[in-house]
Amino acid sequence: MDNSAEEYRIQSLDMDTQMLLKTALKDPSSVNLEKVSDILVDQSLKDQVFSKEAGRICFTIVQAEANQNNGNVFRRSLLNRLQQEFKSREETRARSLQEWVCLVTFICNIFDYLKVNNMPMVALVHPVYDCLIRLSQPDALMNEEEVDCLVLQLHRIGEQLEKVNGPRMNELFYLLRDGFLLQEGLTSMARLLLLEILEFRAGGWVLSGTAHKYYYSEIAD
Amino acid sequence: MSNWTRGKRRETRENEHENGSSGPSRWSHCRKRGVDGSLRANREEDAGREKGVHSDSRNASFTTPEGTGPVSRCGRKADWGSQVESDEMKRDVHRDMQRYRRRILGAEVTQRERKISSGSSGSCDSKEGEHIETDEAVLLRRQKQINYGKNTLAYDRYIKEVPKHIRQPGVHPKTPNKFRKYSRRSWDQQIKLWKVKLHAWDPPTEEGQDKVLDDIEELGIDDVMDIELDFPDFQNVPASLPTHSCSLGGEDDYSGTPVKIQKTETTVQPDLALWK
Repeated sequence: MDNSAEEYRIQSLDMDTQMLLKTALKDPSSVNLEKVSDILVDQSLKDQVFSKEAGRICFTIVQAEANQNNGNVFRRSLLNRLQQEFKSREETRARSLQEWVCLVTFICNIFDYLKVNNMPMVALVHPVYDCLIRLSQPDALMNEEEVDCLVLQLHRIGEQLEKVNGPRMNELFYLLRDGFLLQEGLTSMARLLLLEILEFRAGGWVLSGTAHKYYYSEIAD
Repeated sequence: MSNWTRGKRRETRENEHENGSSGPSRWSHCRKRGVDGSLRANREEDAGREKGVHSDSRNASFTTPEGTGPVSRCGRKADWGSQVESDEMKRDVHRDMQRYRRRILGAEVTQRERKISSGSSGSCDSKEGEHIETDEAVLLRRQKQINYGKNTLAYDRYIKEVPKHIRQPGVHPKTPNKFRKYSRRSWDQQIKLWKVKLHAWDPPTEEGQDKVLDDIEELGIDDVMDIELDFPDFQNVPASLPTHSCSLGGEDDYSGTPVKIQKTETTVQPDLALWK
């Protein structure tokens, strides 16, 4: 992927905001980076497609700021804003499932993109697990939207997460296994998604050729 | 730091003078970032109502905020931003330590070889490998002090104006070696003297005198006994030139780079230059 994806994402915002973000990407010290981080978080919570790609934009700004003056104002205010959102996640979930799903997607995306000396940010490991474990509770497994979000995140960052904290990944997968096996009333799509992720992790975070065919090939009529 | 920011800073300062308001100590202008890590230029307006102004009306960023009390610096802040920052610093320190070890041990080997061939007695550096400071808490504290010194416009100017290869020991400021075993007092003194030397590269100021007073405040008269106390002379200093108010004698020529030799450290330090 390249800059065009960023460009595209940025174009979904109004002109002034677009200008601000473009300047932030090129010359971060000339803009109010706290405002920029707020804009990115707000937009991510509204727009699920944006929340999947915002990590890249954030990464670019963090890099640009570090290169320009060794600063980390943007990262700091981004993370602290994210922490606020994380704290009120239950209220968010009660208010709007969509926003909650966006929040999880965004936090996971940030976890995926922003690294400290090429290592995942330790501060985010437990929060990310907390979100994913929340998505694995029986009530959340009843929502296809939440299951879909959960498996997407696990596909993207499951392996990294397990490396930094294996026990919590076990805890998470016990929930998924029990949910898959014991829970009544799951939709068939949710069951399929869960089965796939169980198989994905069991295969060492890769899907075998046959498994891929099983889950992804169209059923011939 | 971009010219833009600097220009902006000066502009703001001039406005302050026009309004006759006594802004924060001009020292805060030499800081690139505030206590919270935000670039000052972005929040100059906030400076006036910054919390934590010292009782003697100095700005909080004037001093290293370490002295505030015996608070543990590890895990003190719960916010993610700070956690990630301290995490980053820890990793940096460990990486530096590995590099330092490698260099030291490498140097030790060559020194031993030399010893065998020439039979000369080893210098005090020969046992360096055994005298590395490995206490993480100490290293982090030292790194933080170093970062404070480097988080200055003066440091930016210094590394720009004086490339590494022309720096001379004893003449130019040299970052104290955080991996050497020093007493707390010795280390703090080294940091203090390093910062004093760095102030020679402070951006040019309009009025020399204020600055001199500030410098003396920071130094403490007893730190440097032979400091130039003849204030009125500084009023004649041309505004555009950097004022070497922190020099320890009166013979400065007010040109770009001070050449005055200030002997602060008698031990010979290996030129490792790890903390760039």
